[in-house]
Amino acid sequence: MKQQFLKVVAGVCVVVGMNACREKTPDPEVYEQGVMVLNAGNFLDNNGSISFFRREQSEAQNDLFFQENGRSLTGNVQSMAEVGAYSLILVDNSTAGQDKVEIVNVGTFKSEATLSAPDIENPRYVVRINDTKAYVSCWDATGDFSDFFKNQGYIAVVDLTTQTVTKKIPVPKGAERMVKIGNEVYLGAVGGTENLTVLDAATDQVKRIIKIGASPDPIDVDANGKLWIQSNYNVVRINPLTDAIEANVRVGNHALKTPSNFAITPDRRSFYFLYSFYDPAANYAQKGEIYRFGIDDTTIRTDTPFLRRVVSGLGVDPAQGLIYGGVTPSFKQAGYVVRYRTDASVVDSIKVDISPSGFVFK
Amino acid sequence: MLLFLILSGSNSLHAQHDTISLNPLTVRGFAPERFMAGLKVQRIDSVTIQQFRFQNISELLAFHSPMAFKNYGPGQLNTVAFRGTSSMHTAVLWNGLNINQPNLGQTDFSTLPVAGFERLAVQYGASASVVGTDAVGGSLLLESAGRQPSGLRAQLCRQQGSFNNFQTQAGATYGGKAGASSYFSGKTLVYDGQMNNNYGTTERRNYLFEPSKSRQRGLVQDLTWNLRKQRQISAHAWFTDNSVVLAPENPVAREQTRTQSYRSMVQYQTPSWTWRTAWIRDLIEFGKGDFSTPEHTGTDRFVTRLEKEKEWNLSKNGSPLSVRMGAELAHYRTRVEGYTLPLITENRADIFVMSRWQATERLLFSAALRQAFVTRFDPPLTPSVGVDYVFFTTQKTTLKAKGAVAKSYRVPTLNERYWKTLGNPDIRPERSWNKEIGVELKQNIADSQILTASLTAFHNRVDDWTYWNPERNYRVENLQLVVARGVEFLSRYQTTYLRWQLGATAGYALTRASQERLYDAYAADIVGKQLVYVPVHQGNLTIFAQRGTLRLTALGRAVKRSYYTFDNSRNLPGYVFVSLLGEKTLTLARLQATMQAQVHNLTNAFYLNVKRNAMPGRSFSFTLLVAYNSESK
Repeated sequence: MKQQFLKVVAGVCVVVGMNACREKTPDPEVYEQGVMVLNAGNFLDNNGSISFFRREQSEAQNDLFFQENGRSLTGNVQSMAEVGAYSLILVDNSTAGQDKVEIVNVGTFKSEATLSAPDIENPRYVVRINDTKAYVSCWDATGDFSDFFKNQGYIAVVDLTTQTVTKKIPVPKGAERMVKIGNEVYLGAVGGTENLTVLDAATDQVKRIIKIGASPDPIDVDANGKLWIQSNYNVVRINPLTDAIEANVRVGNHALKTPSNFAITPDRRSFYFLYSFYDPAANYAQKGEIYRFGIDDTTIRTDTPFLRRVVSGLGVDPAQGLIYGGVTPSFKQAGYVVRYRTDASVVDSIKVDISPSGFVFK
Repeated sequence: MLLFLILSGSNSLHAQHDTISLNPLTVRGFAPERFMAGLKVQRIDSVTIQQFRFQNISELLAFHSPMAFKNYGPGQLNTVAFRGTSSMHTAVLWNGLNINQPNLGQTDFSTLPVAGFERLAVQYGASASVVGTDAVGGSLLLESAGRQPSGLRAQLCRQQGSFNNFQTQAGATYGGKAGASSYFSGKTLVYDGQMNNNYGTTERRNYLFEPSKSRQRGLVQDLTWNLRKQRQISAHAWFTDNSVVLAPENPVAREQTRTQSYRSMVQYQTPSWTWRTAWIRDLIEFGKGDFSTPEHTGTDRFVTRLEKEKEWNLSKNGSPLSVRMGAELAHYRTRVEGYTLPLITENRADIFVMSRWQATERLLFSAALRQAFVTRFDPPLTPSVGVDYVFFTTQKTTLKAKGAVAKSYRVPTLNERYWKTLGNPDIRPERSWNKEIGVELKQNIADSQILTASLTAFHNRVDDWTYWNPERNYRVENLQLVVARGVEFLSRYQTTYLRWQLGATAGYALTRASQERLYDAYAADIVGKQLVYVPVHQGNLTIFAQRGTLRLTALGRAVKRSYYTFDNSRNLPGYVFVSLLGEKTLTLARLQATMQAQVHNLTNAFYLNVKRNAMPGRSFSFTLLVAYNSESK
């Protein structure tokens, strides 16, 4: 009798288990539509995190990775991108050998795999190649400030089917942002090179280099299919079909201000950016404004700011066109995301986590 | 009252011939506790100091006091704060001299092994009028060895622990007559420890173990020459050399922090005069990669101090009044890359008068006044008053009330003033008013059954609290106002049962410390919030049982979560940490062997350091100490 009872229980368990398996795929899209905020965190506190809110909400769910996985990201959040069924979060710990790429389910944010050292060291940016493949640019271990970029940079080729790094492509020191156009990836670098590196995403090899100017960093592709690149005080526009430099424009005319945090508008016809400097007259406090320029502008004027505010992150929501600014009051307290309309009026202010510095709109 | 003391202090210079010192000075050296009536002073017993001989002072304090620790990891920076203040508000005195690293204005407790000193007292609350700058939250009073018994006592000691961590100490004390009426004695100790921290795994509960190795070496040398008429000359040296390497396996990115301190002092004491002069060199080197071109921070201090103490009886049947006055001169030389000049020198001086008046058998007053002078800087005049009053006493019970009011200050650190980009030459000293009251009970329940208990409440208001202001790119400014208040309980019970000696010490602290000033729009998010790294509740419990030379000790510490963001949005979780210790000594003729076994983190508690890396779980250490005593039979 007792045995029979156990058999019945076991049978029920098997059926329930099978059902559970069947229900597991496809995963429910918990974080289907909304905005992911990348909170960099504070150096040495290793407390970067991801916040999420739906566009109609004014309150964020903070530390999403912890909420869904019961563990912390153990480092600063450097960047993040969605690749097929996954999101890749680049985590930079204050100590060498402890950096990670967390691979989570794009819908549920549940952890699927973790890439770590020696495959990943100082990860910078991630770009989607196809639904099962991503490139992660890495600086490798850095030295002291006298010789900071001691190592060659590399691209970690991530295979999302096996969830492993299958190859490291050597690239210039200080490998930074990547923009994919067709089957080519344009890679910037801040380690002293003046060249943009073009990689073949099919063979995972460096294909050619394009001389741009100091510290070239690709921004985005505009409505005409042209690639925009930042090089110190300038922005450069190239034709990716010919590699020809079509425009090289100095941003503004301030002696000290540099442009950063470029964000393209939904029509891909203009860019917002932060134009700021560390004011030596005010103890090197960061000062600056947000401006906007069009892709057809022959000069980039900085006399009429869109917004008189310094932000730690800037983004434009392709769905609604609202401008998102990350505000960091200090690295030891929660920051805010302030949303603006295109006329610079404020929509709302949403409390997020430490140092909001980037956005993923979905 | 204060005015009276100042006058009486200055009178003493002219009226020395009138006064007769009835009680010969029994306390050698600075002994500032004598002038701290009304304040809570906790002396750590010598057994405890022996037990922790292979650990750092922070580990000892964690089990015996309610301090807040800020630890970056095993072997790494570890600072302590009293009563809701910061680590820069903890004065650390070595033989009466502030040894806080002057560039940072704090002491890294991971560099101070318990082996380096002989006596330790923990003094809670502001006492800047007595000990000088930094004593805003409290002070730690470390003292070197004094006169040693005659003969030779040598010892060799080795500790082997988990994670391939090991330490060795070798030393001796010696003493003997030197001529007809003088006595010479000394202590020498060298120590060397290598902590490899091989945890065998890279993570604990999904938090990382930061790979690190540290080495701690040092030399302690004390020489004391006792002359006629209770005069004494002594020389003390304590050299420490600590090195910690993070990510040691990565040849490019590994980071080394090497902290060296050379502390030396010569003292001359008579029953009424004390003169001491000292040289302290603090070096910090930070290197990355091959460590061949490290960044240097080096500061030398030359300090000399003269003190004179007098005692009078204000009435025929006693009522003794002691007045101690003195002056200290210090010259600082600091060389730091990134300072406004390659070499910065400054002079500091302090003049002070301290007094202690046993008005009646039940009533003890103390008052002190100090004025410090610093080049290009203006510290405030710092007074304090305290009182101890025994309001109930029988043969078995003594109940005492205490109270103190003190102003205190902190001279900004050299970094705060001279750092080219973030420093601020116009920075003002932090100033605080500390008020506290307490009761102390001592109960002799029966023969050999003693209970002591104390309850203290404090309120400390620190204004011009410095803040690395993000609005000004982290330039340091006197922006904040911090109010710290709380209650502390400390109790000790001791008894004998059969042939066992039993005892327990329990402590609890409730600390509420918050920033109260609204200095910009976003400060609204942090006003009134608990200060970072200060747990609201914490407690400790120590229980021991001893029979002959066998001693078993259980040590426990419980800490509520502490926040690590100003707005309390993030916290480090609380934890309970327990250690067990067993010791046994065997004697064979002139040789003695002491064995000590210790289980650290018995319950395998999970906790994080301030970098949010995992701290180690349960571990073990075994210590063998072999001692030779020429005088034993």
